[in-house]
Amino acid sequence: MTGVLGIYNYWIYVVLMMIGLYGVIAKPNLIKQAIALGLFQTGIFLYYISMAVIDGGTAPIWTTIDDGAQKFQGPYDNPLPHVLILTAIVVSVSVLAVALALIINIKRRYGTIEADQIELMDQEDRLAEFQAGQTLDAADAAEARHHA
Amino acid sequence: MTAVILIDTFLLILVTITAVAIIEVRNLYASAMLTSVYSLLMALVWVNMHSMDVAFTEAAVGGGISTILLIGTLVHTAREEKPQKSRVHWKAAAVTALCGAALIYGTFDMPRFGDPKAPIHHYRVPEMMAQTVGFINGTPGKQKPPEGFDHTEYRSFNNTVADVPADPTDTAWRERSLMAQHGIILPKVNGHAPAHVEPGHTHPPDDFNGHVPNSVTSLLAAYRGYDTMFETTVIFTAGVSLIMLLRRPRREGYLQRSAPLVDQTILRVVGKMSIPFILLFGLYVITHGELGPGGGFQGGVAVACAFILFALIFGRPALYRVLPPPVSDLLTGLGVLVYSGTGAACLLLGGQFLDYSMLDLASPGDGEALGMTLVEYGVGITVSMVMLTIFNQLAEEQST
Repeated sequence: MTGVLGIYNYWIYVVLMMIGLYGVIAKPNLIKQAIALGLFQTGIFLYYISMAVIDGGTAPIWTTIDDGAQKFQGPYDNPLPHVLILTAIVVSVSVLAVALALIINIKRRYGTIEADQIELMDQEDRLAEFQAGQTLDAADAAEARHHA
Repeated sequence: MTAVILIDTFLLILVTITAVAIIEVRNLYASAMLTSVYSLLMALVWVNMHSMDVAFTEAAVGGGISTILLIGTLVHTAREEKPQKSRVHWKAAAVTALCGAALIYGTFDMPRFGDPKAPIHHYRVPEMMAQTVGFINGTPGKQKPPEGFDHTEYRSFNNTVADVPADPTDTAWRERSLMAQHGIILPKVNGHAPAHVEPGHTHPPDDFNGHVPNSVTSLLAAYRGYDTMFETTVIFTAGVSLIMLLRRPRREGYLQRSAPLVDQTILRVVGKMSIPFILLFGLYVITHGELGPGGGFQGGVAVACAFILFALIFGRPALYRVLPPPVSDLLTGLGVLVYSGTGAACLLLGGQFLDYSMLDLASPGDGEALGMTLVEYGVGITVSMVMLTIFNQLAEEQST
């Protein structure tokens, strides 16, 4: 198949990947980001599986029963990308699970799962720490003067 | 082929629309449900592209498990996304548009969809297939060279033509093949004669390991055996991480709270009836991984789904009576042990690590099939128990 339809799949893979990338950048919600990462991954899966297709081919499971009729003699699609993606999907759900567990811990610690709010709270924490440090320094200095 | 392309075009448009909706919808529950729809559409796309094993995995993992995990997390975190100042993040849109344009420019150099002359269908494929599935170009009953295929086009790194013979009974070529000359170790065949096969026999008439008709499984377990073993370890690690991140100290007990739906008569009856069949189906998929679509990953997820359904309907106390957490933790490790143990057994029998033909010296094809089934069971045990552990840990978290 030539023409636009011949590379249509590769365009869609780019579109899906970019939707995922947009989600990761634009959405501060951590769960949304985890889902968007999944979309990014499926874009790559689509790329791999599209490459495996061969004109007139079928699933790479050898037909074995020869009942006298014409036996299917191929071609078969390339199974190697299927193997790669099959394991990648299961690994992706593991990645999602660990991400969700971390998000739950973040929620426990900060009370929110919006990245910008977490950033703000971290800054406030740092500021408070810094000010506490300053008052401590001042107290130390006063004590030193007192001893002197 | 035209039908394939038409269905493909239609499905991929739907997929793209769903992807946009997943990102743009504000309600996170809606987003999680749309993820499930997205995965099912993707599974259809894979089926359309003849990638049955991937479709199976996508339907089980994406459509089933990950949606449950997302909803389980949303219960403890937030229902809605925080409203944004503007609907579109223009900087992100600009970056992705630029990046996408560059990638689309790159696709013009890609081989066209389904082109038999694409490098992926030639480069190293004959040797790879010959190693794992007893597949040699031009072998009767096996894959014929695709239209327009020229043997001289198949070259190795140093631009010499690889010497793959047309005769399937010729096993000596492995010893004098380019890979062997370059020091790459080929699977040992010990000069096995091709097995004599009666007409009508359901096994493919082949020499080495043609007893495994599903080439995806044989590549998964043999050609990429190490890779699959360590992917199993990755999943095992994910389970361990979840336990470390979320499990409470044992003195507090495993159970915090549960909301069983046992008073729902229809759910209870239908659940009780379907759970045994889901379990049986999962085991069937694992056992027949080398014959048809499926295998340890898909079957493991199906088994986990049965347990999760049981926990959702009858509550986690009931699940913990059936399968206490210490047992499921042990089984998680056992799966990895079964996988690597099979490899070690091959080593002890005098072969190489994960060289399954050693398991049955009289008929190496059967040895291959046996080894792959064992390995699939290892993968299945680990995957099912890790998925169950992940679900338990996410559900156990106290609601806020």
